[in-house]
Amino acid sequence: MENPALFWRVILWLLFWGAVGGVVTPRIYARRDKDISQAGLAGAAIGAALGPIGLIPLWIRTPKLTGRLIVLAGLMVIGIFVAAFALADPNNLCVANGGFVVSQLTNGIVIGIIYGLMALGLTLIFSILGVVSFAHGEFYMIGGMVAYFLSVSPFYKELRKGAEALAENTGGILAFVNYVFPPLILLLSACIVTFVIGVIFERLFLREMNQGKVERPGEYAILVTFGLAFFLQYFTQALTSANPVKAQRFWDFPRVKIPEESGDILKMSAGNITVLREISIPNPRFTAALIAVVMLGILMWFLYRTWTGKALRAVSQDRQAAAVTGINPDNMNTLAFGMGAMLAGLSGASLVQVFSWLPQVGIPAAARSFVIIVLGGMGSLPGAFIGGLIVGLVEAAGTGCIPDTTRAAAYIPAYGMIILTLVLLLKPTGLFGREL
Amino acid sequence: MLRTRKTLWLLSLLAILILALAACAPAAEQVGEPAAEQPAQEEAAPAQEAKEEAPAEEAKAEEASMEPIKIGGLAPLSAPGAVVGGEAMRDAMLIAADEINAAGGILGRPMELIIVDTEGLPEKGTAVAEKLINQDGVVAIGGGYHSSVGVAVKEVTHDNHIPIVFAETWNDTITSVMYPEVFRIAPLNSEVSAVDVKFIIWLRDVAGADVNKVVLLTENTDYGIPAAEETTRLLGEAGIDAVTFSVDIGTQDFSGIIERVKAEAPDMIMVLATGEASYNFEQQAADAGIGPQDVPMLCNQVSLVSDAFWTNVPDGNYCFVRRVGLPVQLYNDVAKNFLAQYKERTGKEAAESYALEAYDSIKIIAQAIEEAGSTDADAIIEALENIEYTGALGTITFPINSKNPPDKAGVDPKWWHQFPEPAITIVQYQEEGQDSNDTTVVFPETYATGDPIIVGQE
Repeated sequence: MENPALFWRVILWLLFWGAVGGVVTPRIYARRDKDISQAGLAGAAIGAALGPIGLIPLWIRTPKLTGRLIVLAGLMVIGIFVAAFALADPNNLCVANGGFVVSQLTNGIVIGIIYGLMALGLTLIFSILGVVSFAHGEFYMIGGMVAYFLSVSPFYKELRKGAEALAENTGGILAFVNYVFPPLILLLSACIVTFVIGVIFERLFLREMNQGKVERPGEYAILVTFGLAFFLQYFTQALTSANPVKAQRFWDFPRVKIPEESGDILKMSAGNITVLREISIPNPRFTAALIAVVMLGILMWFLYRTWTGKALRAVSQDRQAAAVTGINPDNMNTLAFGMGAMLAGLSGASLVQVFSWLPQVGIPAAARSFVIIVLGGMGSLPGAFIGGLIVGLVEAAGTGCIPDTTRAAAYIPAYGMIILTLVLLLKPTGLFGREL
Repeated sequence: MLRTRKTLWLLSLLAILILALAACAPAAEQVGEPAAEQPAQEEAAPAQEAKEEAPAEEAKAEEASMEPIKIGGLAPLSAPGAVVGGEAMRDAMLIAADEINAAGGILGRPMELIIVDTEGLPEKGTAVAEKLINQDGVVAIGGGYHSSVGVAVKEVTHDNHIPIVFAETWNDTITSVMYPEVFRIAPLNSEVSAVDVKFIIWLRDVAGADVNKVVLLTENTDYGIPAAEETTRLLGEAGIDAVTFSVDIGTQDFSGIIERVKAEAPDMIMVLATGEASYNFEQQAADAGIGPQDVPMLCNQVSLVSDAFWTNVPDGNYCFVRRVGLPVQLYNDVAKNFLAQYKERTGKEAAESYALEAYDSIKIIAQAIEEAGSTDADAIIEALENIEYTGALGTITFPINSKNPPDKAGVDPKWWHQFPEPAITIVQYQEEGQDSNDTTVVFPETYATGDPIIVGQE
């Protein structure tokens, strides 16, 4: 960094006025009997963005703190941060190379979508059962293992060969279906296996919690899900060994004839798309992100448009009231745990073509999911997804922009933690969490 | 009543699951005592029969002499350690144990090999080393893959005065502290870096490659950091720029780093990170268009595990890989015999360098105990200092020792108890799906079996 002093002065300014705003604003709002739920976050954002020029009018007039105001202030803070960084290190790739920035952002969005899908499962379990599943990473791992081992089985190889032959001999939509079908079997199998394991586990070990048969249900849930995590991990290791495995990519990009003149705009190969010579999107990641987006759409449709989904949401809001209306909360618990496990399994199944897979692969993924759901707000589905995107973007930005190449990637786990810490200081329920 | 029935049902299910776990865990059965004890028991039987006629007053001594001699083996058998390396080492050490017991054990006693999982973590390595010494009562320890584990464990063995022969830990400080207990048959980090740089210079000056800038992808460990520093220094002396990116071991997602590597526009990439992190990087780099088929890449040595390599890095053709030990074509009888047994046990066509090292580390300890005639630590250490052991790696000696210390010999202290001549070659995969045994040796020219294929040269 050419001018670190400038950068750190700006950071100190942001931190100082952000802290002042975050501490003083809730007190002023409380004294005037106004809603203080967003006061800390809003005060910190406005203080960091505008300093005393923003805080004094805020304290005098105590306006209604809308989400739009907070987002605007937050964007200003980000803008100040970026400007300070650019002035302090003008030769940094993130400043001097627009294509690089877009690449990193694209990577961050793609991986953030995938993180979000896994975190959705965890938050779904928490929102319905009130349990944090410490076995979530292992469901993610099992999903990947099921997809991989099925993909190398003779049955699947024959199926794929046959389907590809059919696709070549037919045309139109039938060809598309034949081509797409075999990897869908892998994903579906992973979903079924993880769903079934989740359902069995919930019925055997967690049902008693909600029936008042367990003295300390919170601690019980932690211990029993931990036990499941260890069991699944070592059972899988005993079955499969600890050697890394990886599935071949599910689908190739379509063979589209691109005119040579457009080589700079779009370049396509079976395994990669390059846009504008800068933004490179590998096929496996693109596929995994697409699966995550489609799954998110299906999940939203299920939760908001079907009776069962509405019943799940009703139980998450008020268990007893839901029971009064004829919804069986125990069955909803089972369904939620199974679905949560299934979402983790699907994330794993979609990522086994991206990363090398080991029985221990779920541990960092689970840790990241915990960060995401706390950041987004425990129990909040949109929060989990937005949290995933934020963590993905922050990790991409940190890895890409930190000048010291020997540290940029080493601090990846810390980037999400820093954002989490800041958010929790200012809004303990997370970005979209419910107030207690 | 309902509760009792449910409890019974749950207990039954738990019992079934435990039985299933035990039945489905063949790997666990092969590690440690059971595998080593079975041949030991078989070989112990004739020895017991021969001693049946000994006088009664020697009964106690006889009993003591039939107790197995315990030797410890360190290997990373779970993440974040390099599991592919650890499993290879475990299999190799078990082969060594079987051979030793088939030949009558050590000093007429059966040998018991106790292999422990270091997970590639220094704190775990320390804990399992303490367990080996204080609970299991090992007389010596072999194996070891990760330098960070080696750096930590050497302190434990020194504090407990137990000899250790490190198989695959490269950090120079492991021997440069000159602990009497510590021996090493793996190469020094600095020597490996020297060979790597010599190879790059040869590629540039002899093979005609355009190499002005090299990106190093290393790990934040006691192996990775000094390896990167030394390589950068030597490259600098040769007029080649080097940029280092560091990651934690076990890193999965390299997308951000790969974009930065691309922005550096390197002429060559060196992957110093080990384990599945190296596989992740190599394939993700290939996905992004800077893989081994696009830019000359010196891949990590776990790439020698062909099955795992091609599964995890399907676009890994044209990877260069550094290999410790003689080329297959120059294997001696010991190495050939080991390879045959390794093939039978693991199904692999080739034995990785760390497998050969792990095998030799156990065999050399056994030979030292035989020559010492005792399991006393000082006797074993003295025997190791004087040893001339012919193993899979060649003839191993430790010429820099207490009788010929570094200052007297005029060498750096890093050569203390260090096998001075492990052969290091660079091989290249030149066909997709190729076995590592069939790779082309491209450097040094003494061992070369073909020319390198240099990609990305326009």
